[in-house]
Amino acid sequence: MNRLARGALMPVLFLSFWEIAAKSGWLVYESLSWPSAIFLAGMGALADGSILLSTWQTCQAALLGLFIGSCIGILLGAILGLWAPVARMAGPTFDALRAIPSIALMPLFLLMFGWGLSMEAAVVAYACTWPVLIATWAAVRGVEPRLLEVADVLEMRFGERLRKIVLPAALVRINVGVRIALGVALVVAVTVEIAVNPRGLGYSLVLAQQSLKADLMYAQILWLALIGYLLNAALKTIEAPGGGAGRGA
Amino acid sequence: MKLILRLAPPLAFAAALLAIWFVVAELRLVSPVFLPSPGRAFGDLAARFADGSIWEPVGATVQRMILGWFLASLAGVALGAMIGLTPLARDLIEPTLEFLRPLPASAMIPVAILFFGLSENMAVSVIAFGSIWPVLMSSIFGFGAVRVRLQEVAALLGLSRAEFLAKIAIPSAMPDILAGMRSGLAVSLILAVVTEMQASLPGLGRDIFLAQRSFRSGELYAGLVMLGLIGVIINHGLQIAENRLLRWRPQRS
Amino acid sequence: MTLASTKGDRHGADGAPVAVSLRKVGVTYSPIGRPVLEDISFDVREGEFLSIVGPSGCGKTTLLRMLAGLLRPTTGDALFNGAPIIGPSRERAIVFQDYTNALLPWRTVSGNVALALEKTVPVKAERDAKVAALVAKMGLAHAADRFPTQLSGGMQQRVQIARCLSQEPRIMLMDEPFGALDAMTRQTLQDELLALAAERRTTTVFITHDLEEAIYLGDRVTVLSANPGRIAEVIEVDLPRPRNQLTTREDPRFLAHRHHLFGLLQGH
Repeated sequence: MNRLARGALMPVLFLSFWEIAAKSGWLVYESLSWPSAIFLAGMGALADGSILLSTWQTCQAALLGLFIGSCIGILLGAILGLWAPVARMAGPTFDALRAIPSIALMPLFLLMFGWGLSMEAAVVAYACTWPVLIATWAAVRGVEPRLLEVADVLEMRFGERLRKIVLPAALVRINVGVRIALGVALVVAVTVEIAVNPRGLGYSLVLAQQSLKADLMYAQILWLALIGYLLNAALKTIEAPGGGAGRGA
Repeated sequence: MKLILRLAPPLAFAAALLAIWFVVAELRLVSPVFLPSPGRAFGDLAARFADGSIWEPVGATVQRMILGWFLASLAGVALGAMIGLTPLARDLIEPTLEFLRPLPASAMIPVAILFFGLSENMAVSVIAFGSIWPVLMSSIFGFGAVRVRLQEVAALLGLSRAEFLAKIAIPSAMPDILAGMRSGLAVSLILAVVTEMQASLPGLGRDIFLAQRSFRSGELYAGLVMLGLIGVIINHGLQIAENRLLRWRPQRS
Repeated sequence: MTLASTKGDRHGADGAPVAVSLRKVGVTYSPIGRPVLEDISFDVREGEFLSIVGPSGCGKTTLLRMLAGLLRPTTGDALFNGAPIIGPSRERAIVFQDYTNALLPWRTVSGNVALALEKTVPVKAERDAKVAALVAKMGLAHAADRFPTQLSGGMQQRVQIARCLSQEPRIMLMDEPFGALDAMTRQTLQDELLALAAERRTTTVFITHDLEEAIYLGDRVTVLSANPGRIAEVIEVDLPRPRNQLTTREDPRFLAHRHHLFGLLQGH
């Protein structure tokens, strides 16, 4: 309880200072709103459902991209993990591809798909592929060799081997990669919306800024922080042994 | 000879990918608007190297990202030391950080635009905001993990606070600080590109964006290749610096 | 016994000068918890080698940390050279058992030894010479530029001892320093330690859970009993110096002490 109070102290002090300074008029700046106005703007956006709609659009793209990226990542990671020679050959190329910031691919996917869900999901998918690929690669390499020998003895084919032996054995660690990718997905989706794509939370943030509705803008940022925080907390409760990795990409 | 043997398979793989790209593009299996032939993409890149026009946007992007990253690293280490070493600061500040940390850095772009306009300062502040997190979080961890024994040794030898920082705390946290700085650099490249696109600041990000708008896909791919190169080179440079600075760590096989 | 009379305390009952004196010292970690140490009173004479032995959980380490000034006694007085111990001091060096944690992994052997001298010997050339001499003395000359992680446990513990010697302490406090080492290394280091103590005449308080080690090294052995830690007995070790791993350990008096102490520890 004491810790909680101490943790809340700074934000409460900061918000009260901000509120008082703005209301009393000695901190007047058009880009600054004040906490009570921000709260009201946020409530308004919740009431008319606009913020929920854009949240849904963002989540849709993030989840679709996460799904596609995870599938590609798991498949490629499993191939690299199962055949060391392939990994030696393809590793450097993948390293180079991975170094391209996912965001830089926006123009390319824009060219291919135009504005909308697909281009956003494509960028997210690209970004999500890498953490999943790396986790899967490591996980599959770590699969007990005895299990693979069992597969050999049973003369399993590649698909069967993957489905029945490799993936179940590697599942826990692949899961870690997917969880990291989930955080990445949200960040990338919002970024794409802010930069080019006219939909979702990112875009309504830009709209609020361009129409000089600072209160609404701050409200949306806080909402975004809240979603990120809850997502993080949820991921933590599923217990992430991977630790604090996974921003950006 | 051994080196050639080791390098041959990866190069062969990359060449095979390029060959597939070439065939697909030549046979027009995909519209050249999306996928120019590798010859055109690398031709454009080579041409820009030849006339030297590549250096200006590369320089602008790199300068912007390094500046933001450097500021973020300084602030991150200082703040991380404070929070990691003093329990009171940790109790006061950490919950707020935990709330702010998952916020996508790009969400700060509209705020930064309100404050700084479409300027260089806007870009640097957003880059710094985004790339501070990895450094900050790993510094907090690193400074918090300074061994109790070493703190006792410092007390027994009568080291001052400054000496403790310089001789014990900072070297002890150095592996974490450097790892955080390396992830921060990756974030800073991304944000440099995004802010350039958003604010139309000179740099590779804007060039790629403009290339797309005018359907010059060769240039677009050339820009992507360049960004990838920057990422690889800087990451390797930092890795080398890290290995030198952390010579004392037991070698992992 | 009050602080005003500390001058008189500088000499023990037998007239020998006293380095450390403890008077009815007790340590309790939490206000409601059981005491870890209770009613501890003894003197450490100037230049003597005192072994403290006891079962695990008897508060040996707590006692040593208190002598080092890393924690304060809850009750009673702890005096060093007549002044109360109120905090850590360079005069009292402590050698920890966990040498891996006590060395700076990012500094070489020489660098670790130099740590204690950086304030007191500001001239680098002079400091380097001192460090080199100490490193050579501890048999580490060939490893001077290596990092701790590249050394064996015995070597790392030598580095820690060298660092403690470099601070030129008036008393060496050693907390089971050889507890984590193999038997051979342990014997070698025991003899080296005895040689150092004989040469420098530094007062040494040596904690161990190994009875034989306590007798082999000490001028006296203090036996602690557990729960709470109290002094069970103090014995004088009447074995000739220099000691020898073979003859000393076969000496009938050694065996008699061992027999006696073993019985004492079993009794509790």
